[in-house]
Order: sequence, then C-alpha cells, then structure tokens
Amino acid sequence: MKKVITVKICLGTTCFVMGAAKLQEKLKSVLEKYGDSVDVKPVNCLNICANTDTQYAKAPYVMVDNDIISEATVEKIINKIEKGY
Amino acid sequence: MFIDIDCIQKRKNKEHTCGDYFISKRYPEISRLIAVLSDGLGSGIKAHILSCMTATMMAKFIEAGKDIKKASEIIMESLPICQIRKISYSTFSAIDCNEDGSVKIVEEGNPSFIWIHNSQIIEPEYVTVSSKKFTDRKVQVYNITLEENDRLIFCSDGITQSGLGTQKFKLGLRRQGLADIVTNVLKIAPTISSRDLSRHIISEALKCEEDLLPKDDMSAMCLFFRNPRQALVFTGPPYHNQRDNFYANIFKDFKGKKAICGGTTANLISRELNIPIENGKILASGSLPPMSYMKGVDLVTEGILTLTRAYEYLEQDEPVTNDDPAGRLTDFLLNSDCITFMIGAKINQAHYDPNLPIEIEIRKNIMKKIGHILETRYIKKVIFQYM
Repeated sequence: MKKVITVKICLGTTCFVMGAAKLQEKLKSVLEKYGDSVDVKPVNCLNICANTDTQYAKAPYVMVDNDIISEATVEKIINKIEKGY
Repeated sequence: MFIDIDCIQKRKNKEHTCGDYFISKRYPEISRLIAVLSDGLGSGIKAHILSCMTATMMAKFIEAGKDIKKASEIIMESLPICQIRKISYSTFSAIDCNEDGSVKIVEEGNPSFIWIHNSQIIEPEYVTVSSKKFTDRKVQVYNITLEENDRLIFCSDGITQSGLGTQKFKLGLRRQGLADIVTNVLKIAPTISSRDLSRHIISEALKCEEDLLPKDDMSAMCLFFRNPRQALVFTGPPYHNQRDNFYANIFKDFKGKKAICGGTTANLISRELNIPIENGKILASGSLPPMSYMKGVDLVTEGILTLTRAYEYLEQDEPVTNDDPAGRLTDFLLNSDCITFMIGAKINQAHYDPNLPIEIEIRKNIMKKIGHILETRYIKKVIFQYM
C-alpha cells in the first residue's frame, strides 16, 4: 500500500496571524503533483505555541507526519515531504 | 421566565432624529427589567430632547422606587418649554417588571398598551393618578401579573395614527388596527421574537400611508414572557489545568446551545470529553480562521480574532450576520436570551509577541466588551464565569 504523508497546518490564532491561511492556499496548488499520497489537513490548533516557552515566535507551525516545522514555508514543507519519500 | 424586549423606531419623514425615545435596563441579579418609551412634543431634535429627558428621568425614578406622581411632576417641571406652543410636554409608558411575572405599568399620554394572553386581548383595570400642579396630566397605573407566553405591546401615537386622513384609514390605524396586526401575525408565528414583532408592526403601520412614508415618529415596543433560550460560550483554557476536566463537565452538562471559541479550548474539550474534532476542508475564509465541528457543540470557532470580529459586528447599527465564523457567532449570541460566558484565565504568551503583525486583544477584555454590548444594546442576560 502506498504511504500517505499527512501535512497538518495549524490555523490557531498565532499561526493564522503569522500567515498560515495563505500558506494553506499556496500548498493546495503546489502539492497537487503528489496526488493522494500527500494529505493536507487544516487543524484548529496544534497547541505548539502555547506549550513552547522559547519558540513562540516561530509560528506558523506545520506538522508533517510527526515532525513539527516551525516558521513553516512551502519550501520547508516540500523538503520534508521529499525526505519522507 | 425571561423577558424578551425590543423596540424598533422609524423617524418622521424628512427628520434626522427620532422624537421618540426608548430606554431599557435589565438587572439580572434581581430578575428585574425597567423600560420606558417616551414621545416628545413635536418632532426632530426638540422632541428628541424632551423624550430623552423624560425616559431617562423616569427610568431613574422607577429604579429608585420613587412615587410615580411626584416623579411625573418633577419631570414636567424639568422639561424645557416649547417656544411655539409655550408648554413642555412629552408622553411616556414606563414598565417595571419582574421575571416572576409581576408587572407595574405607568402610562401618560401614549396609546394604551395591548396585553395578549392565550391569543386574547385583555383590558386590565387601572388606577388614575392626577396632579394638582398639572391638572391636564393624568397618569394610569396598572399592576398586572403575566404568565408564560404573554405579550405586551406598547407604541407611540405615530403607529396608531398612521394613515390618518387617507381613504382607507380616515381615522388612522388606531389601537384596534394595531391589535389586529399583532393577533394576525401571532396566528402564523406564535413564537415570533419581540424584535421581529416590533419590526413587523412598524412595516405594517407604514403600509397605512399611501406614500409609505411616516408622518410622525413611530415606535413599537414589544415584550414577550417566555422560557429563556440558554447559551454557553466556553473560551480559553482554565488557569489551573488540573481543573480542565471539572470545567469540561460543566460544559457537557449545560442545558442549552453551546459554543467553543478557541483552538486550544476546543482541543481541551475534545480531550476531556472524548469528542473528536472535525476540521472542515473549506479554506479559511478571508481574514478569519475556519470553523471546526464537534458532536453536541453548536459552534466551534477560533478564539480572539473571531471574538474581536464578532464584537465589531455587534457594534454596527444593524448587527452584521455575515456567513463567516464571526457572523455565525453573532447570530448564535443574538438568538439567545441568557448567555453564560466561561472564560479561561490562562494566557497564551505567543499572542503577545511583539513580532506578530497585528495586535491581539486580551481575552478577558474582549469578553467584557461583548458582554457589555449584549447587556446594554441587545438587552441580553449575561453571566460571566472565570476559570
């Protein structure tokens, strides 16, 4: 069975303000080439910023499978996905 | 019982200000509500000042439990005198009601109110109080007891005299015409809100005029005694996380509509009550994060940004109910009578990082603002519980 990589985009307050919504829109078109093997899921909150004392300025957060990407960009996410293949 | 009250007004054609004035105050801690509708002599600013002074003073006197005759005399002496008519004048209907159904009504000059009980109009007895000083002023005092689903309709003479002189309504709509409008709509919509009923009365009164323009200031004030529509808004995580389960269970056991505002808050409820969160696949609409869905919860939104936007909507002259998460929240609040806000005191430091491109409001502050506007402008009963 083909491996499916899950990309969770945090849309909590901090991440949203730091550009998560735009990131989500960009990702939608960029990740089309992966078809069903990459599943992009917006989530209401990953609860990272509230639980990270020193890193709270690192939003937006994205989770690729179990790895957290801080200050997430399309490039960082694609790099992580490519490593997973 | 809950007292659903609202007043809709239409100013006289070509005037910039309504000469009628409506004031209302709810005292949730003693289950009391005071409301006054006053109609000032003439129209425009002058009438507005007279009616505003009358309504405000009358409300204060009632609040303080002062003698109604004395209060009326003081008001008459205080009002400015009209340069043209050389008199000071304004009419009023004042209501002092308790949620147990006991109501005291004082009327002076306005059309007599309409009491609807079991679809029938009841004409209650009253006592007339007159003043030695102002012999032309007679105040009618009613003490009545209302039951569930009873309604009271008050109006200024702009309603009962609408259409005056027209072919169809030579003598105006009159009180009977108003009663017919109300009883007819109640046959179709027996649970209509006071807001919608007031709006309907104004629109029907305008139809009496051939040109559909108001010839006088119009006010329709309605009260509806009914079971309250309870709502709970849970926002923010509790200060002590060992209390999460306790508060989540209060949320679970609440009887009424429920909303969660906050991503962390939704995760907390999901974890403690074992209810999965479904995130909609819909893209975030515009400048607000999208809604989520949880079984048994009527509305799940992001926190501060959505609450701040909902407050902006509530502040508009006509509350906005856009089809975005804040619009849904506004709708949720306005369609409830008693709203309990459970506000978590835990602060997410990340929200106050100076590097964020916009300033994020402090939860406690925005909730206070929302609560205040719901209480004062929308006459809701609001309960705050900090966690």
